[in-house]
Amino acid sequence: MKNMINVDSLTDIVSNSVGILIIFAVINLIHDNNKTYELEIPIEHETELRPAYIISKDDRLLILDTEQVFTNAALQAGKGAASNKRIFDLGYQGLFAQIDEKKGISFHARGTDDWSKFTELSKSGSELQKQLQQIDPKQYFAYFFVYDETNPGSASGSGFESFREARKYLQGRQVKSGWQPVSADFPPSICDFSYSNECQYLPSFLGSDSTASKS
Amino acid sequence: MASRASRYARYLPQEKLEISLFPFLSIFLCVMGVLSFINILSSVSTPQKIELTMELEQGYKVAFQVFTMPDGVISVPPINRLLELQQLVDEESRSTLAMIILRRQRVIDEVTYAQANPALVARSPDVEDISLWLYEIRLINEMALRVNFLYEEFLLFGIYPNGGEAYQKVRSVMTGSPHARNISVGLEPLDANWSLSLHKGSK
Repeated sequence: MKNMINVDSLTDIVSNSVGILIIFAVINLIHDNNKTYELEIPIEHETELRPAYIISKDDRLLILDTEQVFTNAALQAGKGAASNKRIFDLGYQGLFAQIDEKKGISFHARGTDDWSKFTELSKSGSELQKQLQQIDPKQYFAYFFVYDETNPGSASGSGFESFREARKYLQGRQVKSGWQPVSADFPPSICDFSYSNECQYLPSFLGSDSTASKS
Repeated sequence: MASRASRYARYLPQEKLEISLFPFLSIFLCVMGVLSFINILSSVSTPQKIELTMELEQGYKVAFQVFTMPDGVISVPPINRLLELQQLVDEESRSTLAMIILRRQRVIDEVTYAQANPALVARSPDVEDISLWLYEIRLINEMALRVNFLYEEFLLFGIYPNGGEAYQKVRSVMTGSPHARNISVGLEPLDANWSLSLHKGSK
């Protein structure tokens, strides 16, 4: 008589596993078809808070030091680099700039390698966390310029994920946020409301957020 | 005869048929592997179906949804509560509302029909269309205010990747429009694999 290994119990386990997987796949399929994600949509509100500008691109964030930016721009403008709406190197975090009467100062983010990755938000004591912690919720709100261009193989805008994460982080610190999508054709720009109606930077929040912050 | 049968019965257990279960086991393992693979793949790549909502402030703010895509914009205006409002306003406003509802219903029907491929109904933002949305929203909000009906429409932008250009165009029309002055705006970034699911109120 040929000696055979008894695989009955093993077959039993494997067939049970297959059965469970089939059930799981069917449940998953049914559940996925009915799944809807409800997003909370904050609404723009007028505010007396001042904006702290942040550029979000390539999953990285740059908190603009506006004082430094304007000093550098003024220096370049003084040298004539900014004449005739020419794009000039701002000498600040890989940013190039353009000065226009209507749009104010526009930024062209060409190199983002020196900017902080949004994943640093989860590391306590990271440089990005420190920078965001400097935003005083009683005086400022964060205003994001979010790049909506997609990188190859991605289904999301290059700045969407980093914006969402930073907004969540700031919300935890009671800092309000506002944003607008930007791209190479519609670059981020800072201008004064008194020059153009389009120069308006507003925070967006839910009604409950405003009552919570008031109390 | 009986002795032959009993002899046969005695021999029967010794002739037990041995079947090799290895081929079955192999098939089962293959099926299990494929199913696990499909499961993982589907959980990673299945487009999420989303429904855009907002936290209703005192339950009266209703979204006029505008989705901006690389090909243009899709508008999904609200209708449901307009029917209630229609009962409260005067004769003239009632007929204006009826026209608005009819126009909106046509837009929703178009979007519902092409829901599998919403890009088909996406249109390049047209100044006249945007002005009409703004005019209607303003008109409805004013009517609701006049009859003390707790209802306010606001513009809600869902911005898909590369949809920023269309959004900027709409906002630039809004900046120049007197109708947009008191209209609230909300906006949210959406990923390309988040498919559009119609707003409950529009169904």
